[in-house]
Amino acid sequence: MAKVKINDVEIEVAPGTNMIDAAQQAGVEIPHYCYHPHLSIAGNCRMCTVETETPRGPVLEIACNMQARDGLAIRTDGDRVKQVRKSVMEFLLVNHPLDCPICDQSGECRLQDYYMDHARHDSRGVEAKVSKHKRQDIGEQILLDAERCVQCSRCVRFGDEVTHTGELRLMNRGDHTEIGMFPGERLNHDYQGNLADICPVGALTAKDFRFERRVWYLKETDGVCTGCSTGCNISVCHQEGEVFRYLPRRNDEVNKSWMCDPGRLRHHEVGGLERLLKARVNGQPGDGVAAAAASIKAVGAPKVALVLGTRASNEANWALAQLGKALGARLYWVAGNDAGAIEKSDGFLMDADKNPNTLGCRLLAEQSGAGDAEALKAALPELAVVLALEDDLVTRLGQAIPGLVALAAKESPTTKAAAVVIPVAHPVEMDCTYTNKQGRVQRNRRATNPLGDAAPAYAVVDRLAAALGKSLGTQMPVVTFLALSRAVPRMNGLDYKSLGPGGKLLAPAPAAALGGEAK
Amino acid sequence: MDVPRILTANWGVPDSHRLPVARQRGVYGRLPRAFGMAPAEITQVVKDSGLRGRGGAGFPTGVKWGFVPPAEKRNGKPVYLLCNADESEPGTFKDRYLMWLDPHLLIEGMIISSRALDVHRAYIYIRGEFRFIARRLEQAVNEAYDAGFLGKNILGSGFDLDLHVHVGAGAYICGEETALISSLEGEKGQPKLKPPFPAVEGAWRSPTIVNNVETLAVVPWLIEHGAAAYKAIGTPQSPGTKLLSASGHIRTPGVYEVALGYPAAEFLEKECGGLLPGRRLKAVIPGGSSVPVMTAEHLLKSNLDYESMQRNLPGGDSNKIIEAGGSYLGSGGFIVMDDTTDMVEGLTNLLRFYAHESCGQCTPCREGCGWMYQILCRVRDREASPGDLAVLRDLADNIHSKTICFFGASAAMPVQSHLIHFRGEFLERVQHNARGAGAA
Repeated sequence: MAKVKINDVEIEVAPGTNMIDAAQQAGVEIPHYCYHPHLSIAGNCRMCTVETETPRGPVLEIACNMQARDGLAIRTDGDRVKQVRKSVMEFLLVNHPLDCPICDQSGECRLQDYYMDHARHDSRGVEAKVSKHKRQDIGEQILLDAERCVQCSRCVRFGDEVTHTGELRLMNRGDHTEIGMFPGERLNHDYQGNLADICPVGALTAKDFRFERRVWYLKETDGVCTGCSTGCNISVCHQEGEVFRYLPRRNDEVNKSWMCDPGRLRHHEVGGLERLLKARVNGQPGDGVAAAAASIKAVGAPKVALVLGTRASNEANWALAQLGKALGARLYWVAGNDAGAIEKSDGFLMDADKNPNTLGCRLLAEQSGAGDAEALKAALPELAVVLALEDDLVTRLGQAIPGLVALAAKESPTTKAAAVVIPVAHPVEMDCTYTNKQGRVQRNRRATNPLGDAAPAYAVVDRLAAALGKSLGTQMPVVTFLALSRAVPRMNGLDYKSLGPGGKLLAPAPAAALGGEAK
Repeated sequence: MDVPRILTANWGVPDSHRLPVARQRGVYGRLPRAFGMAPAEITQVVKDSGLRGRGGAGFPTGVKWGFVPPAEKRNGKPVYLLCNADESEPGTFKDRYLMWLDPHLLIEGMIISSRALDVHRAYIYIRGEFRFIARRLEQAVNEAYDAGFLGKNILGSGFDLDLHVHVGAGAYICGEETALISSLEGEKGQPKLKPPFPAVEGAWRSPTIVNNVETLAVVPWLIEHGAAAYKAIGTPQSPGTKLLSASGHIRTPGVYEVALGYPAAEFLEKECGGLLPGRRLKAVIPGGSSVPVMTAEHLLKSNLDYESMQRNLPGGDSNKIIEAGGSYLGSGGFIVMDDTTDMVEGLTNLLRFYAHESCGQCTPCREGCGWMYQILCRVRDREASPGDLAVLRDLADNIHSKTICFFGASAAMPVQSHLIHFRGEFLERVQHNARGAGAA
């Protein structure tokens, strides 16, 4: 570890830690525009200027190009540093349009924030501002307003270093420097939304979110993207029960600071037309749980199959497995993707497996001796009731299923074919965990209340058990997870608290089980 | 004192740019001796000579060479030598004559320097406006290849060197060594963040030495005459000779080779031929447009070497140097202004240049140069108020040394020095402005 001093506070950080991050660990914010922890260092905005203590006395240097080493001492609170910040703000604003009232970045704009924190000057600029191109449609997801740009080059580096597409460039020189695309080119990748995220000002804005809501009305809740098995960490931005956008949430082990556009746009499904709000029994409104319980009772447990879900949370799968055990019903799980899944994978964040919890589901399936798709197909003739937990079984099996009971958040071929449909909560509407393809158990938090009659799947299963005279006690996710982690060896010792914001990896599989996983 | 002509010996000789003439005049004659020396010995001679970079900064050349990591620490990466021939500092026009009149001297210097630095691929980066010189350089390079001075196994020494002439697109900033590297690599000519310094990680992330044309052209003489002979010329800290580009209101503008430490007054009278009849000296920019302007009084008391131009103050604090009436020797662009010069007009013209040439990377320089130029336009047109001068000074201070490269300081120092030394002319423009604001 390297001992560094920040404003007389000595802290230990890993050698080579960027000093902006080191200062953050010491509780000191160094303002910056061009620095981004997951992009190369540009050093052009000059906002992170600090004083380094040297034998020749304090020297002004930029913190972003400084790596922690033993004995490094910086000051961020001296008069010279304050003066530099103030002057950088003055330079940045002299040609910046005063369009905050109509700018979508307002409220999360570094120019606004830093002006209040570090500048608060009266404008001395009386010259005409430099005019640049406004409202340029540069891609499916992004609009560019070059006048608002502070030329930090984050988006240029993103294109060069993350997507390797390199469409954006800084053109021209001096105060006519302008971010832009080559003529006739458009952004052509699945990570455009990140450009709006990393843009510290209102130059790059997301078409999907533009003019939808002022950001200061939004609350942010930590979630996990359920678009594929990568499990990108997200912030769900919502107001009064309505979800407006997903933003990637930093997790260096999973998605760094990024997420893909298809995942980002999934927030539309929360309140979308496909959403299931009411239970249906034989196509008519009804009490889904009572109807499901009645049909299970009528046919008897041996003719009942409960199918765990790769889209369902660990808690819901645990609840269903417990129900199977209590009833003596058969358990299955079926890998595969649902109808309408975007079959795209890129070796980066977009995985071919479009389910958020395949690994978690499989782990529980193995633990409870559940059969796979082939076993379920073979058993279908003997079955009278098949309960599908959030997965689109009809599409995955490719055949009709008798006595189908579907627990689902949205319509699918399975819900359309099901005798009984019970609405369950969307991931943003419940506390739960998912285990991503790395084996990382990640917490997903409830942002909004379930719409319509939906309830979290683990609670629905609990009610179904109650209607069948069994008591599972799985309506509370924190308790359910504890029971689950005690019962599953690879999850021993985990609880919601210990998962933290970044999740925890499953314990390594025992050698014998590894052989089993390879199949 | 009689000064040996180290750089200009062949100037004025007919066809001095052609190989036969150059060889007759001794060019390439130093190669056998250089190849007889160990690379480290050559570097030592350059170090001992006290030769300082002639591009403007005056950094000791031998010390710079010493920053290249030894072969075992280079991970098999090559070392590049880049000759900075992007001579674009307004008022400086020495390298163009050196390359035009004696291209083989530069090539010889590059061969010897490459040998010292274990370089096998070297480039001459020449500014886009010098295409006609680039053609002459290419002709010289071809002649040198044909004569066996370039290519494989030069003069049977076993040493290989390829030399390329690369023409830039014509940007002032590409004279900054890291911007030159960016441009050579095919990127937009923008300075790179330091550290890492080019000597450690430069062109294509390999160790790279960037030297000025004039610097490299000195090296053959050092090999022939030794470090001591060079140190005997000039001053202890600024040894050797320097090419000065004299321009402005003088009788005989041109490029002159003088020993460092030469009194400015004598240079003005003898080499420059004095002022035009009836004119009085008003100001001189002694080292290219970027350095602080000097008043006549201060200049006439100065000697032309790095230290005395800076009033023996360390170079980092240009404000103190300006206050003390000093400046920098810079690239030796000696711009003379007599009493007919409008200093406001002059500074406005300079800032027009800097506003146009700022690469646009760092915030203070990108926004500040244009802003300063606009204020100056209003001052010039008598549309500014006294408060604008304070803003102008503030902006210059806020740009100076707050940027990745030295461009910011280069644009700020002319403003700071003009506002200090010629304050009266600026005040007159803002006090009697077109809006009728009074002197109050």
